[in-house]
Amino acid sequence: MANEQPELLKNLTPEEVQGVLAFGTRITVPSGSSLFQLGDPAERLFLVDRGRIRLTLPMQVRGRQEDVLVEERTSGQTVGWSALIPPHKFTLAATAPLETEVIALPREELRKYFGANPTVGYKITLNLAVVIGHRLQLFQAMWLREMQRTVEKHSA
Amino acid sequence: MEMFLMALCMSMLGVAVAAIAFGAATRPASSSSSPVQPELRPVKAVAPGRFFTGQIMPPVAPRPHVPTEVLLTQIENHVRLEQAAAESFLESPSHAQLHTKTTSAFVN
Repeated sequence: MANEQPELLKNLTPEEVQGVLAFGTRITVPSGSSLFQLGDPAERLFLVDRGRIRLTLPMQVRGRQEDVLVEERTSGQTVGWSALIPPHKFTLAATAPLETEVIALPREELRKYFGANPTVGYKITLNLAVVIGHRLQLFQAMWLREMQRTVEKHSA
Repeated sequence: MEMFLMALCMSMLGVAVAAIAFGAATRPASSSSSPVQPELRPVKAVAPGRFFTGQIMPPVAPRPHVPTEVLLTQIENHVRLEQAAAESFLESPSHAQLHTKTTSAFVN
């Protein structure tokens, strides 16, 4: 894993981290390959260990559907938290622009582990709230910036 | 005899006055001292109509063609810049930080 503790595992003891990562499967995503597609069932959560993941959404550009970058996740960051949030479907597509290693954590195993270790479940839930909250605030600000420009354009 | 001549002169004078008056009355009004017809001024361009002109839209100047790859790169660059600006706002929220202008081609 990266030198710094992954954002999802912050404030966990080393034993707790080991307990969670025990369910993980290390996956190497070749450069240019897809990790998941928009609308796929979200069965696993991913921790980026090395490389980079591009999160994209489809956009019509000159009559063609193109995947437009929404966010990039790098080492230590979390991808695919839809695995823990109903309806458990990915709302973005994820691809690796370069060879990337991720640790995949299956939802069902995590839930069972959290049930047996509620303290770990609580800490990870708090960390997940930080990840989700940050994205919400970020996109809220981006949306307002775009709205401001739209209003200025139409009221000029 | 003198009376006859006087009556004759008066009659001729009356005929002459009537002829001059008739000529003046029947002369065309447009005739002037110059025999040359005045030069016609060119008609000014017709003023634009006030109604029904909105139906014909002026042709839109075509934008310079940007290759799709370049456009996609511009979109990506725009997203990165917007995210960076939004991150700056989240670090120190203020009205000025929220609406800082980036160097994105889409907003300049």
